[in-house]
Amino acid sequence: MIGLNDSCLTGLAHQSVNNPECSDSKTGPGATAKTTLQALTSAALVLPGLLLSPAQAASISTDSVSFQYNRYQEGKRNLYNVSSNLDPIRVDVVHGSGNFTFHDRVKFSFSYTQDTWSGATPVTSAPLVANGNRPILANSPDGVITVGASPLVNTRVLLDQNLNPLKLTPEGGQVVDPRTVLILSSASPETRNQANFRLGYEWNEAAVNAGGGFSLENDYESSYGNLSGRLDFNQKLTSLKFGAGYTSSQTSAILDPDLLPYLTRTAYTNQIERRDGSEILRGDRQDWTATLGLTQVLGKNSLFDTNIGYTHSSGFMENPYKAMTVIFINPEFINPDANTPIVGDARALLEQRPNIRNQLALSSKYVQHISPLDAALHLNYQFSFGDWGINAHTFEADWVQPLGHGWTITPRIRYYSQDSADFYQPYLISNQAFRKTATDASGRQIWVDANNPSEQFFRNGNGNFFDTDGNPVDATELNLQPQLVSFDAAKLPQNFSSDHRLSGFGALSGGVILNKRFSKGVELEAAFEYYTRASSLKLGGSGHNSFADFDFYVANAAIKVDMEAIHSRMNVATGRDHAHHDHGQQHAHGASPVPAGIMFGHMLDNPGELMVGYRFMYSRQAGDMLRGAHQVSDLAIVNEGCSDVILCRFTHTEMNMKMHMLDIMYAPTRWLNLMIMPQFMDMDMNLRELAGRPPRDPGVHEHTGTGGHTTGGVGDTILSSLIKLYEIPGHRLHVGLGISAPTGKVDLKMRRMFQVDGGLFHFDMQLGSGTWDFLPNLTYSGTSNRWYWGGQLYGVKRMESSNESGYRLGDIFQASAWGGYHLSNWLAASVRGVYTYRDRIHGDFNKFNARIGPMDFPANHGGQYWDIGIGVNASVPSGKFAGNHFAFEWVQPLRDDVNGFQLEREGALSATWHYSF
Amino acid sequence: MLSLMMAMKITRFAVIFILLLIIFALAGCVQVAPWERGNLAKPHMALDPHPLQSAVQAHNYGSREAAASTNSAGGGGGCGCF
Amino acid sequence: MIKLANLLLSAGLMCCLAMVTPVQAHLEGNTPPPSCQLTHLDGKSAENWEALKGEVIYVDFWASWCPPCVKSFPFMRQLMRDFEDKGLKVIAINLDENVEDAKGFLAKHPANFPVLLDASKQCAQDFGVIAMPSTYLIDKRGLVRHIHRGFRAGEAGELRILIEQLLIEKI
Repeated sequence: MIGLNDSCLTGLAHQSVNNPECSDSKTGPGATAKTTLQALTSAALVLPGLLLSPAQAASISTDSVSFQYNRYQEGKRNLYNVSSNLDPIRVDVVHGSGNFTFHDRVKFSFSYTQDTWSGATPVTSAPLVANGNRPILANSPDGVITVGASPLVNTRVLLDQNLNPLKLTPEGGQVVDPRTVLILSSASPETRNQANFRLGYEWNEAAVNAGGGFSLENDYESSYGNLSGRLDFNQKLTSLKFGAGYTSSQTSAILDPDLLPYLTRTAYTNQIERRDGSEILRGDRQDWTATLGLTQVLGKNSLFDTNIGYTHSSGFMENPYKAMTVIFINPEFINPDANTPIVGDARALLEQRPNIRNQLALSSKYVQHISPLDAALHLNYQFSFGDWGINAHTFEADWVQPLGHGWTITPRIRYYSQDSADFYQPYLISNQAFRKTATDASGRQIWVDANNPSEQFFRNGNGNFFDTDGNPVDATELNLQPQLVSFDAAKLPQNFSSDHRLSGFGALSGGVILNKRFSKGVELEAAFEYYTRASSLKLGGSGHNSFADFDFYVANAAIKVDMEAIHSRMNVATGRDHAHHDHGQQHAHGASPVPAGIMFGHMLDNPGELMVGYRFMYSRQAGDMLRGAHQVSDLAIVNEGCSDVILCRFTHTEMNMKMHMLDIMYAPTRWLNLMIMPQFMDMDMNLRELAGRPPRDPGVHEHTGTGGHTTGGVGDTILSSLIKLYEIPGHRLHVGLGISAPTGKVDLKMRRMFQVDGGLFHFDMQLGSGTWDFLPNLTYSGTSNRWYWGGQLYGVKRMESSNESGYRLGDIFQASAWGGYHLSNWLAASVRGVYTYRDRIHGDFNKFNARIGPMDFPANHGGQYWDIGIGVNASVPSGKFAGNHFAFEWVQPLRDDVNGFQLEREGALSATWHYSF
Repeated sequence: MLSLMMAMKITRFAVIFILLLIIFALAGCVQVAPWERGNLAKPHMALDPHPLQSAVQAHNYGSREAAASTNSAGGGGGCGCF
Repeated sequence: MIKLANLLLSAGLMCCLAMVTPVQAHLEGNTPPPSCQLTHLDGKSAENWEALKGEVIYVDFWASWCPPCVKSFPFMRQLMRDFEDKGLKVIAINLDENVEDAKGFLAKHPANFPVLLDASKQCAQDFGVIAMPSTYLIDKRGLVRHIHRGFRAGEAGELRILIEQLLIEKI
């Protein structure tokens, strides 16, 4: 039967393969619920080191900081007959960067990027008739409906004598169906972190830069360094640029446990490490790059820029999550009758790319000022080619149009076309059996004793068995099996990939960028782009892979704060010119410093004042499981931690939460401040199996998460006002009234594995509360000489009874009191005591959740907590960086008294930066 | 190993590139006085007027396309200020 | 073919360098400044250097679009405050192609020193201005003693010392 997994039918399943479809054998707890399919979809082709942000290369960099949020969203892939509920790829990116000048000619810049990926990616492509995307059916009031699709890569495919795939007609006949389809696999969210730095020195007519950085994912790590320089000639009308870079990358990919039983990975035996039932594919890669460029001013209104770049890559360049569908045809079974279809044995082999890649790219850019409109036209063309056979052309045109009042609009259009890599194929057909019985030189079948596989026997044409010495043996006394030999890899192409990014295609995209520059030195930027990839758009004819067509959009928003502009504006405003004047007084808030862990703790004093800040919070839970305030045994958790009907099987061993928050505050009047605080979260959690847990149900796979799992993305957004109630010298009191808008998702799901839905992530792994929350708070602060002190009452009241996933988080009440001392004019240290009460979760998930441990039950949330915080505050009192404030605080738990069963807290770190002007 | 074809292609490429360099080096003899660079100094005439966007684009295109990049931004043009 | 190309390239670069070098050499050392026909913002013509002999003159060529020029304005204002009564004259020569740009700039960055216009740009050419901003220090004898190109806050101290030295010189 076509479409069924053949290894169940033929019994030819390789001994080492656990096949969950036809046995109860399991890959064990290590078969992690997390795979990282999507991560490398980014990393495999992109080399972050070679694409070091051009922002850092600006010739006139000013002291500035910027924050950017970016959303990448792909459209659904065309799966023809299967309607998939798999979410397409989506990426949330948070980016922060800063440029600073020291001693006039020394420039330092850094940037930090965090992206969270989720969604379904293609693992391979195959003839449509192979039914690789198997519909997932579910009962509904309207009957059986398709709720999704799961990948199925080992199937039988019928082919005609010309090797065209055949489809069965309802009448029992066969017709050619030449269509190919992508086979998708879903994935849980995955986070990547990247940090870059760059240090540069400038002469009047030259510059050198040294940069470096790293990009970290669970399965892919890159680190890189580069050197670049610029020489100006001819009164800076001509600039010569050069650069060289090196990137070293390591892949350690946990192969998709869902695909593993069907994945042929013999080519990588030496690179695969088995651990806890998972298979980890490792590989190293090096990239060297060199660039040479020239910028030439052509006239008062135009300039030209041309660059040549060479990249040499070696090592493991495969995407470890991409497989090639190879249809094996056993020539012995081909019926000479032309009307009898050939039965192909479709298998998925890990892709094999060449271990060397050389690429050369030439780009040129022409910029023309359109004087009547004061616009700038940017025209780009780039050609690149390499020894993989991919010739690529890129054309881009941008029209940058200033509109007055600080507004600029930039429509842009881009066309891209590439040829296919030499080794790209949607799928391969190989004229040999995938696996067949072995025969010796004289044509006798080789058999082995299953109990002693090293001993060989032979069977002659009469069905009699002989040992290696030619003596007849009694087959009934031995457990004899035919010895199997796998396909001959030499008969396959040396390199092959079905990654459609290596296919021939064209892409058209267009977008618009909108900028608004405020006189204060703040600039907002927003951009949108729509991109469509089409095989038919390829230059010089179709790429014949329209099955892989897709589209995406990108939307982003950024805020840039130009400290240099602010500084010079303030100089003008105050009429104070000396470069080293005491700028700090303008920034010294009447209020004393507040520990970093306190939110809503200080107010701006001057009407019209603006503050931009960034807050980072990290908290960690690890250590013992608690019941109330005391350590609890595994057995107690198993029996009492979950519910009357469900016993606990797992618990978490650690949970880390990181939060990045942008903090923008404005003072319309002296007594009122308005704040907006968008948040970006990422969390990770590791689980362990509880001792004494109930045994597994045979045949049912469990989501264990023992390999760890992560979530991340946009969190809730806080809008708040601060109102000054009382102020006398040395004492002030203000109240904060805020709301938290439910912009963070509360329905994040674990990926589907082994044909089992992962269900919703644990409560603590969701990104927001899901409800509109009210955030009242009251802060008192005082100061006398070098001492300062304060206290805050802070609350969170959920204003809805449940969120879209059916529950609501507990209300929070927190009281803090702190005291601190100014060690010098720029440094202060503080101690804070904190008491927190947090209610349990009310309601419960209204969607499927795996309910594997205490963290999945509402009663095991909330409690009372006592902490002590040790903090330092630093501010730059004068000079060009005056107005920058930094604060750090470590909050150490003293006592936990939790509701139900919970993991002990280890502590929390808060770090803030803010700049007001 | 570079194939012969590749080597030939590179040679052809290098020649084209050098010819381009010459053309623009000669064009460089066209003088633009330091005080005539007001338009060139405008932010929207910068080689990369939207660096934040370029970084996003480079990453998006780079993850969906197989072309190499020249990493072209590195200065040049602009106001010609010291 | 590549050899030929290299040859052409070098020839091209030589041609450009040949055009640049003589201009740069024009004002090094103790030479009197070229005479200039400058006007005030209101169009009235300004007096020549000769009239200012006996004073130290800080001549600054600038344009509204030049970022380092923005930074040099506070410095020049401070020079006026500190040294005007000791015999320093700061003269800022604007090279904007559109006078309105200069006026807009001055509205945002007020000057406490005279700003003159070089409408024909002849003065800038004669001074051999090759970068924005360019500063020329003229001593009491009327000789250009120092040329400074660009403006960076860290170099301001050096300039102040030079000015102080020129101010205490006797004619």
